[in-house]
Amino acid sequence: MTKKEKRSFNQSLAEWKLFIYNPTTGEFLGRTAKSWGLILLFYLVFYGFLAALFSFTMWAMLQTLNDEVPKYRDQIPSPGLTVFPKPVTALEYSFTVSDPESYKGYIEDLRKFLKPYESEEQKNLTACSDGALFEQKGPVYSACQFPLPLLQACSGVDDPDFGYSRGSPCVLVKMNRIIGLKPQGMPRIECTSKSENTATLSTYPFNGVIDLKYFPYYGKKLHVSYLQPLVAVQVSFNATSSTTNEVTVECKIDGSPNLKNQDDRDKFLGRVVFKVIARA
Amino acid sequence: MGRGGKKGTVTPRELNPSPRLKRGPKMGKRRKMKRKKKKTDMEELKKEVVLDDHKLTLEELSTKYSVDLMMGLSPERAQEILKKNGPNALTPPPTTPEWVKFCRQLFGGFSILLWIGAILCFLAYGIQVHYKEDSTKDNLYLGMVLAIVVMITGCFSYYQEAKSSKIMESFRNMVPQQALVIRAGEKMQINVEDVVVGDLVEVKGGDRIPADLRLISTQGCKVDNSSLTGESEPQTRSPDFTHENPLETRNICFFSTNCVEGTARGIVIATGDSTVMGRIATLTSGLVVGKTPIAAEIEHFIQLITGVAGFLGVSFFVLSLILGYGWLEAVIFLIGIIVANVPEGLLATVTVCLTLTAKRMSRKNCLVKNLEAVETLGSTSTICSDKTGTLTQNRMTVAHMWFDKTIYEADTSEEQTGKTFAKGSTTWFILARIAALCNRADFKPNQETLPIAKRATTGDASESALLKFIEQSYSSVEEMREQNPKVAEIPFNSTNKYQPRQEFCARRARIKAGACKEMSIHLQEDGSQAHVLMMKGAPERILEFCSTYLLKGKEYPMDDEMKKNFQNAYLELGGLGERVLGFCFLNLPSTFSKGFRFNTDEINFPMENLCFVGLISMIDPPRAAVPDAVGKCRSAGIKVIMVTGDHPITAKAIAKGVGIISEGNETAEDMAARLQVPVSQTNPREAKAIVVHGSDLKDMTSEQLDEILKNHTEIVFARTSPQQKLIIVEGCQRQGAVVAVTGDGVNDSPALKKADIGIAMGISGSDVSKQAADMILLDDNFASIVTGVEEGRLIFDNLKKSIAYTLTSNIPEITPFLLFIILSIPLPLGTITILCIDLGTDMVPAISLAYESAESDIMKRAPRNPKNDNLVNNRLIGMAYGQIGMIQALAGFFTYFVILAENGFKPIDLLGIRLNWEDRFFNDLEDSYGQQWDHRGCKVYRGHIVCHHHSLNEETESGKTLRLAPRPRAHP
Repeated sequence: MTKKEKRSFNQSLAEWKLFIYNPTTGEFLGRTAKSWGLILLFYLVFYGFLAALFSFTMWAMLQTLNDEVPKYRDQIPSPGLTVFPKPVTALEYSFTVSDPESYKGYIEDLRKFLKPYESEEQKNLTACSDGALFEQKGPVYSACQFPLPLLQACSGVDDPDFGYSRGSPCVLVKMNRIIGLKPQGMPRIECTSKSENTATLSTYPFNGVIDLKYFPYYGKKLHVSYLQPLVAVQVSFNATSSTTNEVTVECKIDGSPNLKNQDDRDKFLGRVVFKVIARA
Repeated sequence: MGRGGKKGTVTPRELNPSPRLKRGPKMGKRRKMKRKKKKTDMEELKKEVVLDDHKLTLEELSTKYSVDLMMGLSPERAQEILKKNGPNALTPPPTTPEWVKFCRQLFGGFSILLWIGAILCFLAYGIQVHYKEDSTKDNLYLGMVLAIVVMITGCFSYYQEAKSSKIMESFRNMVPQQALVIRAGEKMQINVEDVVVGDLVEVKGGDRIPADLRLISTQGCKVDNSSLTGESEPQTRSPDFTHENPLETRNICFFSTNCVEGTARGIVIATGDSTVMGRIATLTSGLVVGKTPIAAEIEHFIQLITGVAGFLGVSFFVLSLILGYGWLEAVIFLIGIIVANVPEGLLATVTVCLTLTAKRMSRKNCLVKNLEAVETLGSTSTICSDKTGTLTQNRMTVAHMWFDKTIYEADTSEEQTGKTFAKGSTTWFILARIAALCNRADFKPNQETLPIAKRATTGDASESALLKFIEQSYSSVEEMREQNPKVAEIPFNSTNKYQPRQEFCARRARIKAGACKEMSIHLQEDGSQAHVLMMKGAPERILEFCSTYLLKGKEYPMDDEMKKNFQNAYLELGGLGERVLGFCFLNLPSTFSKGFRFNTDEINFPMENLCFVGLISMIDPPRAAVPDAVGKCRSAGIKVIMVTGDHPITAKAIAKGVGIISEGNETAEDMAARLQVPVSQTNPREAKAIVVHGSDLKDMTSEQLDEILKNHTEIVFARTSPQQKLIIVEGCQRQGAVVAVTGDGVNDSPALKKADIGIAMGISGSDVSKQAADMILLDDNFASIVTGVEEGRLIFDNLKKSIAYTLTSNIPEITPFLLFIILSIPLPLGTITILCIDLGTDMVPAISLAYESAESDIMKRAPRNPKNDNLVNNRLIGMAYGQIGMIQALAGFFTYFVILAENGFKPIDLLGIRLNWEDRFFNDLEDSYGQQWDHRGCKVYRGHIVCHHHSLNEETESGKTLRLAPRPRAHP
């Protein structure tokens, strides 16, 4: 029995050797050099052709695209809400008041983000009239000013630490940009804390109003230095004595009938929930 | 054949040595020895039955078994023997429990691939959960779906096959319950299990024989050995030794055969497993059956696909490490790629395709018991066909007549149309009268509506043939018999002093049981009160009684010319393999007029100087559709071998008739006859056809058999025993052939089991043969096999298409994942969507390919070579993956890019955004136009991409089947 197995093993080894290189037929891995050459040539030509075809179709497709506005915009009829700075883990702002290193990242991000909003940067922008949509016909599209002082305590002007060092951090809430979106009514961001007693929320500009003059948006290419309207939320904890303060904040778009803030499947459609954990 | 049996053969009784012998000295060796023992047992079982009890005289028999032939064994002695030899029952083979069978279905073959995939998925999920809290559940779902798919298909195929494999039970059904034994002079009814060797047993008509018996006295006993030998006619049994071969001698009755009429007494010479039937049963149930071709193909496929998956997986594992992914991620990728290569839907597709074909075949009279056997018939390269019933109609029919010195042909077709002959001759009139009157067969009542050929009759086959023939071509036999009442007769099977002669002529003329001659005396119908004596029988014996002959209604004295004519006609008809009967008559003189009392024991009437009338020859004619079917097999490259228990001349005649020996081909004997040289001088290589006699086969080594199978294309095996059938099948398999065997008797069951596909007969087949077979021909017609072959080849082609179709979608499913890894683009096709494609949308079109109709040359090409013509070969994989898969993948990617670009994400901006795209909390992903997307938006999007991606695939694929060569020929 073992003898037989051994022989068959040797046989299979010999078969493998023969398969790798067969000296009688000159076959390497079951094919002669010529056969290999032909098959490689075939695949070269075949894939070359496929690649060419693919490139051509892609090129043709790109030609059909409009550089200014995407062809379809029905995927995002209503904007989502996002918060800034982006927390390290999920949507939890966790920091220690006494340790500046723990919130340094947030402050830097905020500063960087608010850079375009500084007054020098906004010099060339139009001072639009409040309360009305700023519709334009082109060909040149101008952007409206968003004066940083609107954010008051969270503007970074008075308090370069955006409240983090005092244990009442600022978080920016913004609405996603969507080309051609025209909000109706008086859109504003309303923020509520899940537990009223632990913290009070202040929203800037007053009442979290988003002015209509920042709409509609005309796209990256046309609307060059467009500034997104921002709303800042400052969380101030009531009981400063305890070592760890924690609050969950929910912000929603409100006051505009065509901006949805409730969708079972999309948790960020017109609303955002985040958590602030401040340790002493 | 010596008394003690030759070396290398065993008497049945030696087969069951006492269990004590098996016990080896050491425990370790014991098992090994036991296995070896079992193996040698099987080898011994394959050898011929060697018995010499039939050659013993009654005295010798009595001493051998130390039994009194009148009184039987003493009960004490019987008990002793029973204790020693064990009960007279068939030992069931070790059965595999049901759950083992179920597990085999669940974990065998293709399933194992899916199981491995499922386990890998769970592993990947486990890793993800362990290291990342918010991991997706995709891998978990995938694993579960894979497991469910395997389990469902496993249950399905288990259910499909649960019905089969009840061989031993069917054997046991043949065994009688009770036996009548004589012990110590007392008749007693005992259970069959208690019958022991040496018992004196009595059987009567209607009984099953309780063990192998050597008869010591009989009264008109006839047995039906059809289950054992396939010969359908009841055979006479007597205490005389008539043939060397124990299967053919008259004085042996076999366990579980039927006693049809009469009574007999005999000594039990073998019981239980050592009986002839027991040996067949043990042999059948103990045979190890090889893998079906399709199972081998699937194994090959698994190897290929595992190779491809492993190669892809490992290379991308390395690549992702180089690209800077963590090892954990790389492992997840590795698993992902391997699992993505598993064609989830294929197992179900293959099973459904096979089931559909099985259904279709059963509509065409091929009932398939084992799903995998559906394809086996398509790969068949050799068919070993039984003769009786499969190739022939299984009823004797008058084929030729010879009278007035001319041979006339009768109509043998199943429908009885056409051909007429000289019905005007007076000789025909007399011949017909003799055939009708000197005939004990009769129609069974209440079948007037049936066509004559289909009516059931009593009496033996040749007499029935004559009866039907006369009824059909002359006039009502019943009326004739009424007008010419029978006064006296000496029937075939009477036990008078003509017995020895009967045996003599039975062998000479190859005429079965006592057809030597039959005489009857009838009253003349003209009212002359005279009697006429009619006789029929073996022609040369009949001629001896005759001094005159009839030519065109006139009597002439017998002369040498007539005798020569007779000899020529007899030889010619005999040479056609036909059973020839001679007919003669004598008008008795007026001294024997009405009222004379004829005494058939002490003959008191003249029985010589009769007048010879003519010959009638009969054959079991081939079925009408068979020659065509054999021709189709031949053009399909299938070798048809006839294996029959019948005589060589008949076998050869039928073989020629149906084209198994084709026109123009001759055997060495034919060639010798043509060249008029002795057979030894001819070159056997020149003769393509050969007729091998069972007794020659017995002495052949397997090399000699191989030689025959290799060098002759047209082979007929005649007078073969069950064991020899098995040897022939094994010989064919040694040549690398995929062998189909047809058979109906119990004797065929070992061969049926051993064959790659055993085909049993639905109508005439015994229960055992049906259990041993993989397929049942519901109409017993050889032509149905051809349909089966066609269907089998078709399903092989179509499975190839289905698999190619399923495999192509692998590339467009994997490449997105690969590009996702390399280019960090958003994943175009998720795991769940892949599952939906594989198990949903891709399955239906794949199954629909099972309905593809056959290529026109499907029955013209040679059967596939199982060694290198695989179901899935490199070429198919190359085409599916390398070419069509690539086209589809490109098409898919194009759609992907189009959709994303038209919605705002230009291709160039997609590179590298994978992480942000996937991040659930990254909700302001900016597109090429400055718009910002939240996570949900991205996800919804993917659904769209998938839809388009896939619908495009479908379009490319639907065109594909046209291009897919159904059967890639030899490699370039």
